[in-house]
Amino acid sequence: MAISFTLNGKPQSVDVSPDMPLLWVLRDTLNMTGTKFGCGMALCGACTVHINGEATRSCVTAISSVAGKKVTTIEGLSADGSHPVQQAWMEEDVPQCGYCQSGQIMSAVALLSKKPNPTDTDIDDAMSGNICRCGTYQRIRKAIHRAASMHTAKANSAA
Amino acid sequence: MSVVVPRRVFLKSSAVAGTALLVPFHLSGNPRAHKASGSSTSNTSGSFSPNAWLELSSGGDVKIWCGKSEMGQGVRTSLPMIVAEELGCDWASVNVVQYGDQLTGGSLSVRTSYDNLRKAGAAAREMLISAAAREWYVERSTCRAENGSVIHLSTQKRLPYAQLVALAAGISPSADPPLKNPSDFKLIGKSTRRTDSLAKVTGAAKFGLDTRLSGMLIASVERSPVYGGTPRRFNADEVKSAPHVRAVFEVKSAHLTHQFGETSGPGSRNYSCAGVAVVADSTWAAVQARKLLKVEWNEPPSAFETTASLREKMLRFASEPGTIIRNDGDFEKAHASAAKKIDAVYEVPFLAHATMEPVNCTAHVRSDSCELWAPTQIPGAAADSIASALGIPRERVKVHVTFIGGGFGRRLIQDYAVEAALISRDAGAPVQVVWSREDDIRHDFYRPAACHVLQAGLDAQGQLISWRHRGSSPSIETFFNGTGISPRAAAQVDSLDFPALFVPNFRLEFTVAESGMPLGYWRSVDASGNQFVISSFFDEAAHAAGRDPLEFLLAAFGPARKIPVGSGETLDVGRRRNVIELAAQESGWGRPMPSGRGRGIAAAFGWGSYVAQVAEVTCDADKGTLRVDRVVCAIDCGTAVNPLGVKAQMEGAINFGLAQTLKSAITVSGGRVEQSNFHDYEVLRMSDAPPVIDVHIVPSAEPPGGCGEPGVPPAAPAVANAIFAATGKRIRRLPIRAADLGRRPAPAR
Repeated sequence: MAISFTLNGKPQSVDVSPDMPLLWVLRDTLNMTGTKFGCGMALCGACTVHINGEATRSCVTAISSVAGKKVTTIEGLSADGSHPVQQAWMEEDVPQCGYCQSGQIMSAVALLSKKPNPTDTDIDDAMSGNICRCGTYQRIRKAIHRAASMHTAKANSAA
Repeated sequence: MSVVVPRRVFLKSSAVAGTALLVPFHLSGNPRAHKASGSSTSNTSGSFSPNAWLELSSGGDVKIWCGKSEMGQGVRTSLPMIVAEELGCDWASVNVVQYGDQLTGGSLSVRTSYDNLRKAGAAAREMLISAAAREWYVERSTCRAENGSVIHLSTQKRLPYAQLVALAAGISPSADPPLKNPSDFKLIGKSTRRTDSLAKVTGAAKFGLDTRLSGMLIASVERSPVYGGTPRRFNADEVKSAPHVRAVFEVKSAHLTHQFGETSGPGSRNYSCAGVAVVADSTWAAVQARKLLKVEWNEPPSAFETTASLREKMLRFASEPGTIIRNDGDFEKAHASAAKKIDAVYEVPFLAHATMEPVNCTAHVRSDSCELWAPTQIPGAAADSIASALGIPRERVKVHVTFIGGGFGRRLIQDYAVEAALISRDAGAPVQVVWSREDDIRHDFYRPAACHVLQAGLDAQGQLISWRHRGSSPSIETFFNGTGISPRAAAQVDSLDFPALFVPNFRLEFTVAESGMPLGYWRSVDASGNQFVISSFFDEAAHAAGRDPLEFLLAAFGPARKIPVGSGETLDVGRRRNVIELAAQESGWGRPMPSGRGRGIAAAFGWGSYVAQVAEVTCDADKGTLRVDRVVCAIDCGTAVNPLGVKAQMEGAINFGLAQTLKSAITVSGGRVEQSNFHDYEVLRMSDAPPVIDVHIVPSAEPPGGCGEPGVPPAAPAVANAIFAATGKRIRRLPIRAADLGRRPAPAR
C-alpha cells in the first residue's frame, strides 16, 4: 500500500513494506544516498533527518509512521551548500572522511532552530547522539557557534 | 603487489590525441620499501615503472591520476597543493583522479609523494615554458611561468597553459627539473580548506555504500561467529521463501594475498570469514530475511578462547623470560645495584576500528571479469585476492575506489572485497554487500590485546639506570606472515625505541601469545598500546625519583643529536626535545592547578614526525568521573604542506586516542566477540571530547613527515599521567574505568 509524505517540500509516495525504516526507503527506494547508515539502532546519528522539524533517527523510524508528515534530508537543506550551517561547516573545515556529517548537520540545524545561540552544554546535549570517528567534534562546536553568529548577524542586519 | 621505486625520477611525456599533456611519475605506496630505503626515491632497481600521471588538458584543468584514497586525511587537498606550487597554477584547477593500485596508509601519502609530485609539476612547468619560447621564437630563459600562464618578461606577452598544452606535449620532460626554493612557496605551508567539503556537507559525496548499479542486489551475510569456522548446515529453503529474497548460499573463506608484501607463510591466517549470504532486492529485505537464518557451524579450536584465558596466558608469558628483542648493557647487574626499584603490569584490550561507514563492497562479476566499487585503502590487494579467489587474470579485475567513510587501517584488509566478488559470482548479478554495524564490530581485524610487565631501577641520584620490558600479545605479523618470521618482526616493537636508546641497561623481551582472533592494523598500530605503557611507566619512574616528569623526560633525552633507531629512521633528539618543550610551554606546565585537576605529558616519534601532548584533566575520585579539559599538542612533521590539514589530523588523532583511553574494548567469550554496536563498543562522543585541543606546528623545512597516525599514541599516556598528577591513582590498563579513579581499590577482574 502506498505511503505518502512530504519529502524536501515535495509530495512523495512509496509502495513498500510498512515496517521498512525511512532510512532504507530514502537510500534504496528513492536512491537518495545523502542520509547515511551507521548503526541501525539509533546509536550513532548518521541517519538523522527532520520529521516535522524534529531531528529523528531514520534507521529506526518505520515508513508507516511517516505518513502525512514532512521529511527533510540533507539534500533538502540546499544542493549548493548555501544553507548557513553548511556554510559554517565549510568555513570551519569540519569534514574529514565526511560520512557522519550529513547527520551532524541535520542535528545541528534542528538544535539551532530551537536554540539560536546554543551554549557548549546545549551543543553537547544535542550532538552527543552523533558519533564522528574522525574526531571533528571541536570543529563542529566552532561551526555551530559560527552558524549561530551568522544567523544573529543576519537578524541584526534585517532589523 | 610489487612496487618499484626508480633510482631517479624519470619523467616522460606523451600526448593523448593532441589534447593533453601527460607527465608520468611514480608514487611509492609501500611502507616496507619506504622504511627499508628511508626515502621515497631510492631503490636498487633502475627501471621506471610509472604508476601515476599528471595530466594538463587543453581545457585548462589539471589532473593527478594516482592511487591515494581519500579517507578523511585530506589528500584531495594536499596533493594538488604540491603540484600547483611547482606548476604555478591555480591550485583549485588541480584535481585528484583515483587511479591505480597503491596503498593508502602508514601516514605515507604526503611524505612519499612530495618529491615526485613536485618534480612532476616542475617538469610540466618547464615543458610549458619551452613550448611558449618556441612559439615566440625567444630564449626560454627570457620566459617565466606564473599563475597558469607563461610570460615573456621583456614584452609581457602571455600565453595561458591551456593554449600551450598541445605544443608542450611533444617536448621531453626533464628528469631533474629545477624545483622552487621553499622560501618562494606560495601554497605549500599555507592553511588551505579542503576541496571535498562541499560534497560532504550536501550529501553528494559518494561512499562505498552509495554505489548504485542497474540490477544491483543487496546481500547480508551471517559470518562464522568464531573466526575460521564454516557453516555445517543452514535452512536455505526457508529463508529463500522470504519476501524479495533472490538467493541464499554459503560463502567460502578465501585467502587474502599480500597486504604489504607479506609472505603468507605457513601458519598465516589471513583469510576472509566464511558465512551464509542472503541476497535480496533491498537492504531491508536482506536484513529481515537473515533474521530467519539458522546456521550450525563447524568451529575451530579457538572457540574456547576467552578474554580471561588469553589474559592469563599473556600475563604468564610477560612474567617469564621471553625472546630477547633488544639487550643493552647488563640489566640484572644494574638493577641489583639500583637504589630504588619500581615494577608494574600494564594491559590493553583488543580494539575494533568501527569506521563510521560500516564495511561494505559492491561487486559485479561476469564470466571472466570482476568490477568492484570499494572503499579501500589498497585496491591492488583487493584485485590480487579476487583474481586468486575467482581464478581469473589479475588484469580482469577493475577496482573503482570510492570515498572512504573512515579507514584507520580497517580497509587495508580486503576480506570484504573478496567476499563481495564471491557473492556476486554466485548470485549472477551485481551485488552490494552491506555489513551491519554488528557485522562490522564482530568481524573486524582487531588491534591486539597485550600485557606488559616492566621493571625499572634508579640510582641514588634519581637517574634511570635499568629498564626491563617484557611484553606478550598476539602478533599481527605472525597472523599475516606465518610463524617463520623473525622474533623482532613478530614482536612489532618499532615503537619501543624509548627509553631503549636512553637507558644504559635496557632489555626488551617478547613472547607471542597465540589467539584465534583475526588481527590487523589500527591507526598507529603497535604504538597505540605500547606508547601508553612506556610513557606511563616512564612517568612512574619520574615520580619514583621525586622529579618533575617534564624535567625527567628532557634529562633522559639529553642533548640534541641524531640517533639511528634501526627501522631506517633517524631520531633527531633536538626535534624531539623541541616538541616536548613547546607543548609544555603552551600548556603552562608547572603552573599550579586546583585540587582534582592535573597535567600529564607524553611524546612519540614515528612516521617521520615528532609529537608531544599535554593533557589536562579534572577528576572526582568520589564520583569516579573524569573529564579531559584540554589537550595541547606540538608536532614537528617537517614541511607542513597544509597546516590546516595537519591540525585536523592532530585533533582527530587525539580524539581517536581518547576513545581507546576512555571508552573502547573488545572482549571475547567462546571465541566470539562480545560487543556488537555502539552501546557496548563505545567510542568518543561530543560530550567526552575535550573542549579545547590546541595544536602547535613547529616551523620546519625538513622533508614532510606523516600526520595520520603519530598524534594517536601520546593521548592515552598524557591523560593517564594527568590523572596521576590529579589523584595519585596510576592507570595501568585501558580503557579507564570509574573504579580505577575511585578511592576504593578497583575490584580484581
